[in-house]
Amino acid sequence: MSLADICNISDYDSNRGTKNDFHQMCTNFTSNMSLGVPPFANAVANIGNMAKDDSGRSIKINFDHGTTTLGFMYKGGVVLAVDSRATGGQFIGSQTMKKIVEINDFLLGTLAGGAADCVYWDRVLAKQCRMYELRNRERISVAAASKLMANMVYNYKGMGLSMGMMLAGWDKRGPQLYYVDSDGTRTPGKVFSVGSGSIYAMGVLDSGYKWDLTDDEAYDLGRRSIYHATHRDAYSGGIVRVYHMKETGWVHIDNNDCNDLHYKYKAEKEDLENTII
Amino acid sequence: MSILAYNGGAMVAMKGENCVSIATDRRFGIQAQTIATNFEKVFQMGPHLYVGLPGLATDTQTVMEKLRFRKNLYELKENRLMSPKVFAAMLSNLLYEKRFGPFFVEPVVAGLMPKTYEPYICNMDLIGCINPPNDFVVGGTASAQLYGMCEALWEPNLGPEDLFETTSQALINAFDRDAISGWGATVYIIEKDKVTIKNLKTRMD
Amino acid sequence: MSVLCPEIPTPGFSFENCKRNAVLETKGFALPKAVKTGTTIVGITYKDGVILGADTRATEDTTVADKNSEKIHYLAPNMYCCGAGTAADTEMTTQMISSQLELHKLYTNRVARVCTANQLLKQYLFRYQGYVGAALILGGVDVEGPHLYMIYPHGSSDKLPYGTMGSGSLAAIAVFESRWRPDLEEQEGVQLVRDAIAAGIFNDLGSGSNIDLCVIRKGSVDYKRTFDEANKKGVKQASYRYPRGATSVLSTRVVDIEEVAVQRIEPERMEIA
Repeated sequence: MSLADICNISDYDSNRGTKNDFHQMCTNFTSNMSLGVPPFANAVANIGNMAKDDSGRSIKINFDHGTTTLGFMYKGGVVLAVDSRATGGQFIGSQTMKKIVEINDFLLGTLAGGAADCVYWDRVLAKQCRMYELRNRERISVAAASKLMANMVYNYKGMGLSMGMMLAGWDKRGPQLYYVDSDGTRTPGKVFSVGSGSIYAMGVLDSGYKWDLTDDEAYDLGRRSIYHATHRDAYSGGIVRVYHMKETGWVHIDNNDCNDLHYKYKAEKEDLENTII
Repeated sequence: MSILAYNGGAMVAMKGENCVSIATDRRFGIQAQTIATNFEKVFQMGPHLYVGLPGLATDTQTVMEKLRFRKNLYELKENRLMSPKVFAAMLSNLLYEKRFGPFFVEPVVAGLMPKTYEPYICNMDLIGCINPPNDFVVGGTASAQLYGMCEALWEPNLGPEDLFETTSQALINAFDRDAISGWGATVYIIEKDKVTIKNLKTRMD
Repeated sequence: MSVLCPEIPTPGFSFENCKRNAVLETKGFALPKAVKTGTTIVGITYKDGVILGADTRATEDTTVADKNSEKIHYLAPNMYCCGAGTAADTEMTTQMISSQLELHKLYTNRVARVCTANQLLKQYLFRYQGYVGAALILGGVDVEGPHLYMIYPHGSSDKLPYGTMGSGSLAAIAVFESRWRPDLEEQEGVQLVRDAIAAGIFNDLGSGSNIDLCVIRKGSVDYKRTFDEANKKGVKQASYRYPRGATSVLSTRVVDIEEVAVQRIEPERMEIA
């Protein structure tokens, strides 16, 4: 006797159809862009109530958060640098998270905010970009890709998505850098820094940034900016990953542990002070 | 978020063979922002007596000053040193007086009893409930991680050198999983004839 | 308050931090939780006296803060008191009443009665309207014989032949309801109390570790700290000890401690010539 018989639902399949169930309960299997929205009116306004328990206390949802990411354009293309710490509340869940997503050979995305949100929507975006390529026999422009992303997340505006991402790529019009976030903002620019440690990173980045940086200078600037942010910001840390977007596609430059960087920079600083004296 | 986690900080004390250790991180932060990496949370209260006050930094300093004042008065009046046990009782009373408006500190006391040099450690909650076990005590924001590390690493009759390694590794590995503590560490090993104070090399992120 | 000693506090609780803490709370910083005993405590009367029992776990939220906490508190030579609730409250309340009983004993030159302790405790707790979170089981033997009182945080009390309190009280009372009877022998009583605490330890998550017992007879007390280890910790099969030199050290400072010889200063007579 099967389990369905014991449970007295042996006609389950014929009555309702599991196919239908799959469709209703797992809509995003077939349509990635539609998430399960609570079945009540005015979801945007009422979704906040879902995070409260019977006695009105807020249910703690400690999804992974907190990041420092940056990206800037210079004469050699685009440099992206990110940290690798994932925190849930004050607990460090991971020190080795990959916060740069390789969407395709000419498109990189960075993650900041809710880790699950970023990973999910980046994957949807990757699929959309591939579909575009197959349909149009050419790679998608960064402008178009970022607009796809912005439009997708805009549908869920106010419902709790949390992401701030940069899209870097190289298309027909040359190197490109866009910022997209869950509010629906989408803007091109030369220098961005996103996440809880972004203010610290921006401080270093701005003081060292110029268009005519050499490649090595650019990598070092990105690396230092992220390192200094990890030093000041509790929710950033781990490994500094640096990527370079070139005309020939992206290149992963290197990974450096913040711990090594700290003592390396400290030694360099002390050497410098000694030589001046 | 709890007020105890406003500034961050982790602390641990362990008993050894004729010695005790107390160790703390060095961070002073305001929520996510690290302000300083040389903040003192462990204070000497006698030749063999140290107290750690993890919690809200303003209360760390207020409570330390109140304690030092009361301890000095006691020592002037009694003409003898305050033992760790008496010190803990005094601290407990100081905290319990504020039962309905507490200081946000979870103290850790470590020291050797006068004359016998018997190790003594204890910790308290923020209203002064003393807990004097015979292995280790923890306090601060990484206390869950510290409990785990200490349960695994601690063993009885550790000498000063081994106690240092055990305490240091328990602390470092615990606060490496806590976002708001770390940024350097200080370990005090208290023995009959000397106190060894070591600053550790740790992750600075 | 004297100008010379501005810090010597006035007796009683101080409320000077309350306003600040209330403001912090409105800014969204949750007030931290104090250590609770999360307890099973029990007491019974038997033929010649009373037996008190307690587990030894103290919890801070879901963390076990103390694995061997002492919950049977001394009140007077002929009286002990089990405490459940906020750990600091039970400890401090019993300490305070204990000192009052000692003074009472010295003043009256008699062994203090259990009903006196009950009255002192309930009046103290009633004054604080339940905000001092102590639930107590008071047991003792005096001229009137053995007595057992349950005292609740708001200041009410019961005089009962047997009773339980704390989060494990339901498990423990079940044992008593089925097996307690008047005029138990001491051996039977001890076994019954042990079983009741064990029921609390195994069926209530807030209770755990060891069993403490206290047998109070006329003229003698038998305090059995760690009467039974209900949960023996497993022995580690190997050592996780770090080798010496595993920790990298930036700087070391050694402070030598010299033995301080205390010199006794003989008082000199004041010159009055």
